[in-house]
Amino acid sequence: MMEMFIDLLFILLKAFAIIIPLMLGVAYLTYAERKLIGYMQIRVGPNRVGPKGWLQPIADALKLLMKEIVIPTNANKFLFIIAPMLSIGPSLAAWAVVPFSEGLVLSNIDASLLYILAMTSLGVYGVIVAGWASNSKYAFLGAMRSAAQIVAYEIAMGFALVGVLMAAHSINLYEIVMQQSGGIWHWYWMPLFPLFLVYFISGVAETNRAPFDVAEGESEIVAGFHVEYSGMTFAVFFLAEYANIILIAVLTALMFMGGWLSPFQGIPGLESTFLAAPSIIWFLAKSAFFAFLFLWFRATFPRYRYDQIMRLGWKVFIPITIIWILVLGAVIAAKASYVTLGLCTVGIAGAYMLFNKLQTASRSS
Amino acid sequence: MITLADYLVVGAILFCLSLAGIFLNRKNVIILLMSIELMLLAVNMNFVAFSAFNQDIAGQVFVFFILTVAAAEAAIGLAILVVLYRSKQSINVDDMDSMKG
Amino acid sequence: MTFEKIIFYLFATILVLAAVRVITSRNPVHSALFLVLAFFSSSALWILIEAEFLAITLVLVYVGAVMVLFLFVVMMLNINVDVMREGFIKYLPIGVAVAIISAIEMGIVITGNFSGDKSPALVRKGADYSNTEAIGQVLYTEYLFAFEVAAVLLLVAIVAAISLTMRKRPNTRSQNPSSQVIVKKEDRLRVVKMDAEGKGS
Repeated sequence: MMEMFIDLLFILLKAFAIIIPLMLGVAYLTYAERKLIGYMQIRVGPNRVGPKGWLQPIADALKLLMKEIVIPTNANKFLFIIAPMLSIGPSLAAWAVVPFSEGLVLSNIDASLLYILAMTSLGVYGVIVAGWASNSKYAFLGAMRSAAQIVAYEIAMGFALVGVLMAAHSINLYEIVMQQSGGIWHWYWMPLFPLFLVYFISGVAETNRAPFDVAEGESEIVAGFHVEYSGMTFAVFFLAEYANIILIAVLTALMFMGGWLSPFQGIPGLESTFLAAPSIIWFLAKSAFFAFLFLWFRATFPRYRYDQIMRLGWKVFIPITIIWILVLGAVIAAKASYVTLGLCTVGIAGAYMLFNKLQTASRSS
Repeated sequence: MITLADYLVVGAILFCLSLAGIFLNRKNVIILLMSIELMLLAVNMNFVAFSAFNQDIAGQVFVFFILTVAAAEAAIGLAILVVLYRSKQSINVDDMDSMKG
Repeated sequence: MTFEKIIFYLFATILVLAAVRVITSRNPVHSALFLVLAFFSSSALWILIEAEFLAITLVLVYVGAVMVLFLFVVMMLNINVDVMREGFIKYLPIGVAVAIISAIEMGIVITGNFSGDKSPALVRKGADYSNTEAIGQVLYTEYLFAFEVAAVLLLVAIVAAISLTMRKRPNTRSQNPSSQVIVKKEDRLRVVKMDAEGKGS
């Protein structure tokens, strides 16, 4: 019994060792977002609090902590308070199985990819419950939009992951990374290029980020499902959104970009140097790059219309993933190498472009 | 040590509760559907428990198929419910008596 | 009382209480949320006996998809809760009676056949055992036909659900994104050659 509690204490400590850096990452991701978008729009961004604005996220957090939590009239009080927790819980729970480097993982369970899928599919409850419990039309509209969108893109995301696990012959994230070892050409972004794109774009849609942020849509429904939230409850939604962004970035890095493996692995001259060694630095660099893409998207693309989002999810992404799973199945059944699959990619892209050309030609004649 | 009987008791309690739920909420189709889901969960609980304790994976495969069928049932059930609500503006079981002779 | 046993009783209690609330709460939204809690805690119970593939699938399929659908429908329909509650008290005696009778019957079966040492002991598998692999191993060989039938069944369910609920409402204005996105520059833009306009022309 006593050892049990010591074990539990250790697990708790390890969980803190993941969550505290994650929360700091979230805080500085918001800072990075404001700074980067500032520079992209030829502004300076936050620069008043602390040197170069470095203390801005902490000031924001303190401000939100101090504020009153306003509960709307006739709102369902219990559900209203519990909704932010439902939102952040799954996005933190998913980190339990994420491997950071060789041997650096809290819980190396067998079905970790499935576990991650299950946890990300739970995030929708925070949104629905928040929208419903607020007793507000805008919040409800935002919740409905976002729930439909998340459910739609989850399917495409799941199918993209099916491709990954077919290629790796495993549903364990650690195994999936180890299967990709052998330099940048062995990472799955190349043989699974369409799935890689679909996964990342679906990830952007899953997290309700621009250009798919109709759930918040400031110009239409004020702020969507969290209009009625203030103070700490709002801050928790905010944390959940950014924790989800980092999670998607990390998962993309793990599944398509070789995780902690070095891109210089297998290059003759560099083989013995530190550059070719797998390390957590590569993992962090790759994740940071994908997190940066989220911010870049926000500064670049105008918001999609709602029916276009739905069309993209159901009529474009799901068929693409299904076709690619078929191709992948054929390649695996024929015991062909991934070079063949690379050629297939080029062939299909070429065929598609030819088809597009013919279609345009027939339409203009 | 957890025993098979523990799981069977939980399954039995769940089944009885969902049975009572069907009687108590016989006006509300949505809660009826939920009670059926709960009943299937009770059955699945027994299947999984027997499968794990008797070292036979077939039980878990069966649960897999039950999940598939239950998902299909829920989807079609809710679709029928929505169509019904559009034509009757109500989901009360007592209002669905237009085929009464 | 081992640690496992404590966890088991914790989740079993949550499961039973959630099930009670599913059938007794006034508001269908609350019922749906309690059903989510019930699925979640039974998935925890399944993990305790090493059925982790099904446990995760239960969360993924039921909590992540089916219950969202339920919540959607419950929230979208404007249900008069009070009318729905009529007859709750009236049917309470018979409902409870039927539940108790079936509980007694099941209790007799369970205590008669599985109590004490009649119950087979749970054999813990080694760390290299993969539940997912074990299920996949038989699912794609022995049960392949059933698996394919299940796939067809799901397809039929998709088609049925869509064809039931789809309706073309007249008098609504909508855009067709497909025709909008395949528009090419030449369809919309016409470059007209004309002379530069001079001063006195």
